[in-house]
Amino acid sequence: MHSHLYPFSAVVGQEELKRALLINAVNPRIGGVVVRGEKGTAKSTIVRALGRLLPEARQESVVDRGDSQIVTLPLNATEDMVAGGIDFECTMRDGCRVFQPGLLAKAHRGVLYVDEVNLLDDHIVDIVLDAAASGENRVEREGISFSHPASFVLVGTMNPEEGELRPQLLDRFGLCVEVSAENNVEKRVELMLRREAFDEDREAFIASHRKETERIAAKIRAARELLPDIRMPSHLRGFISELCRENAVAGHRADLVIEQAARANAAYRGSRVVEIEDITSVASFALAHRRRDVQSPPPPQEPPRSREQRQRDEQSGKDREEEQPEPRNEPGEREEKKQDAREGGERQERSSESENGGRQPDEPSFPEQVFEIGSPFKVRPFNSPKDRAVRRGSGKRSRSRVSQKQGRYTKSTVRRKNNDIALDATLRAAAPFQKHRDNPDGMAVVLRDQDIREKIREKRLGNLLIFVVDASGSMGARGRMAASKGAVMSLLIDAYQKRDKLAMVSFRKDEAVVNLPVTSSVELAGKLLREMPVGGRTPFSAGLLKGYEIARTHLLKEPGARPIVILVTDGKANRAIGERKPLDEAYELSRKMGIEERIRFLVVDTEEPGLVNFGLARKIAGMLRAEYFKIDDLQADTLVNIVKDATL
Amino acid sequence: MKKQYTYPFTAIVGQEQMKLALVLNIVNPTLSGVLIRGEKGTAKSTAVRALADILPEINVIGGIPFNLDPDEELEVIRECFEVSGEAAPDGGELFVEKQKVRVVELPVGATEDRVVGTLDLEHALKAGEKRIEPGLLASAHRGILYVDEVNLLDDHVVDVLLDSAAMGVNTIEREGVSFAHPSRFTLVGTMNPEEGELRPQLLDRFGLCVHIEGITDAADRVQVMERRFAFEEDPEAFCRRWAGESERLVERIDRARKLCSSVDIGRENLTAIANYCLEVGVDGHRGDIIIMKTAKTLAAYEGRTRVEKEDIDRAAMLALPHRIRRQPLQDITMDVGTMLKNRACGKLSD
Repeated sequence: MHSHLYPFSAVVGQEELKRALLINAVNPRIGGVVVRGEKGTAKSTIVRALGRLLPEARQESVVDRGDSQIVTLPLNATEDMVAGGIDFECTMRDGCRVFQPGLLAKAHRGVLYVDEVNLLDDHIVDIVLDAAASGENRVEREGISFSHPASFVLVGTMNPEEGELRPQLLDRFGLCVEVSAENNVEKRVELMLRREAFDEDREAFIASHRKETERIAAKIRAARELLPDIRMPSHLRGFISELCRENAVAGHRADLVIEQAARANAAYRGSRVVEIEDITSVASFALAHRRRDVQSPPPPQEPPRSREQRQRDEQSGKDREEEQPEPRNEPGEREEKKQDAREGGERQERSSESENGGRQPDEPSFPEQVFEIGSPFKVRPFNSPKDRAVRRGSGKRSRSRVSQKQGRYTKSTVRRKNNDIALDATLRAAAPFQKHRDNPDGMAVVLRDQDIREKIREKRLGNLLIFVVDASGSMGARGRMAASKGAVMSLLIDAYQKRDKLAMVSFRKDEAVVNLPVTSSVELAGKLLREMPVGGRTPFSAGLLKGYEIARTHLLKEPGARPIVILVTDGKANRAIGERKPLDEAYELSRKMGIEERIRFLVVDTEEPGLVNFGLARKIAGMLRAEYFKIDDLQADTLVNIVKDATL
Repeated sequence: MKKQYTYPFTAIVGQEQMKLALVLNIVNPTLSGVLIRGEKGTAKSTAVRALADILPEINVIGGIPFNLDPDEELEVIRECFEVSGEAAPDGGELFVEKQKVRVVELPVGATEDRVVGTLDLEHALKAGEKRIEPGLLASAHRGILYVDEVNLLDDHVVDVLLDSAAMGVNTIEREGVSFAHPSRFTLVGTMNPEEGELRPQLLDRFGLCVHIEGITDAADRVQVMERRFAFEEDPEAFCRRWAGESERLVERIDRARKLCSSVDIGRENLTAIANYCLEVGVDGHRGDIIIMKTAKTLAAYEGRTRVEKEDIDRAAMLALPHRIRRQPLQDITMDVGTMLKNRACGKLSD
């Protein structure tokens, strides 16, 4: 099914990616490549084509993988599919346990390709990376103990918008390459022409590139042979460690990777000695995803004016580099922030104008304002604890047992419901009775219905997040609302990446309003957030109650759901529903709601740190038995920052 | 039971963009699908279901539910027979039958098993042979996979779709037993943007994207009601009345299919496409390639063998709306023209 692949040499541009892949093909010990970038940039095409270039090594592989040197790991892969499991046909026929190799064994001496590696379940990524690092796949599960060599070029692609890989996992990929589309018109045309030629007559097109393909393949073969003899002058080792130190790299992996990559690069050139160019040309691949952030990120409560100014400066600098005047056109998180801040800034100017011009006649003391959204950041992880309930669905937030054939196999059960049979447990259950059973078909093991065991699986699922946002006048003070909106935005982006459902409630003046009923559309929530006005008193209890009601109604519909109510407030309640004092009422409600086990609360305190702190939100959080964060604490401690160009 | 009549495709009033996008995908299945965005009650589903009438016929291998091409590799064919529990024809003649290209509907609540197919493990354990229950991806091979409310699809089903759309192969894997069969389909999705957007990768898999609204012209609206009423009164007569029109469309599609490969696109047109994409700002190169293919298909559909400037404009309108680069939480701008104008203004003011 893979006989007509687009040839490697016919790919236009993407030189960095090609080189990173080639040196990995020469020296698999580099540890693979993770390709970050937008969609439709020939990532998959290049990787698939690489398979064709690798030396034929079928006899060395544990299992036959057909004529392709590339093994693709699908997103819905399970553990036994990747690492290997019991071969049931042999087991049933001969009655002995036979290990059936999985995808890792297939990939031995070839390429293992994971598209969208950031969407893969974490435990699968762990298995793959373990094998990639050690060159060996060890299976110790379901009563099998087996290991086989698995040395392969690991290539993963990801689109960072869909969520990042955990830094630990990212670090274990040897190299990291950023790809983007070609900006040159001529090249784009060339690309289309080649594509057209390929579509018209695949065989002729492949034939016309055969010579070049063979040349590259021969070069890889020669480089592989040369590799053990490559000499690394010791002063260059010093240079490498200097490079890593300068870039404040976490751990020692970068040093090792750069050395391996430089040797491979030298071998590919056909030289026996590593030169300084070999190092500089590959170092950026190894450093890009390992650089530690030296300065702490700018605090969000900076005055908006100066930040806008600075970002304008940054922007003009960027423009010169990329010749693209519109920030809309540039990918990456930094640009998003800029855009947000810019738009927001303009809006604030406008709204402050309207504030001066026409104040609300009925509420002169509480001007209404729409604030910008502060810069979003990466949110620290939060989730709900594991319980015994069985759910189904998708997402990446909280661990749960699931009733679908996905996730990690944790134990087996006698209950039949899913037809997801646990082979090992079934065999164990059948074993003691074999002597007494008739065996008409000559099978080694005879099974009865009562032997069948099913798997219990576990995986992460999304939650329902209910945002309850304080939009009262006190939040408008000195840009607190901008910071709060930034925090909510960050939570929303996190929710999108973890595939949560959301709802949004805001409270101000006299009432709480459900801005957004339960939905999975983060876009809508983002839009509402952008337009959310601020001003008026703080009907805290009303907001809390609304959020709680949504959670309760949702629980009636889906008893297994695990809603998390996120309160974004300073806690300065000054408007009650009933006759009592607003704060007392808020405390009373909080205490009562804290008893509900199925709903979790999370309080994000927006009170500005200063001389006088009321700490009201903290008190409420205590009563709700909630997790409590100040806005700044909500930020994840990132060790590693992804940068495009490491300083060399 | 009475024969079920579907509302004829040609009898749909207005919605020309949508009809065009669908027809182009029939002419050239490598356009990889259409995403139809629009409010409720705008004949989205009617149009897709009506496609069944005007679809061409293909040769498939009979006896197994995998819609295999008779030219498929022998190994694949043999394996497909094996897992269906049928005896494989050993080198003998395959039973080939003609069959209309199918529209397979994927319900939003479909489980992964239903989509991918399942391995009957219990049968395997007891009898010691593998048996596969093929899923929707097998029935959709070489046909149209239709997902209503595609934005509400479960995430893990989306993952499966993405994998098979990217590789053209669907793999069923359980307990070390694995079975793969070809699955190349034209993905047609409808969605109401009010209920949330699609994930970017899935969005990118749709070749074309159209946005439709309710018809605003009063006379046309009356016509919609009249035709609908006539159809419900007497579906048979209604379908008969439109048979001629359908026939003509089928013939036109057939001609275009044959013409498609001989359409010539000049280098200056390709430059125009590249400039278009750069100006509007799209991610990656898939936009360029889809515009090129769409423009060629359009020319073929118009009965020409040369691509003209207007083909490219029309193709860009269909291929670009959902590819324009935007921030994660930004709305999709449906109008490419406005987008271009905005950008031009932006450039002047900078």
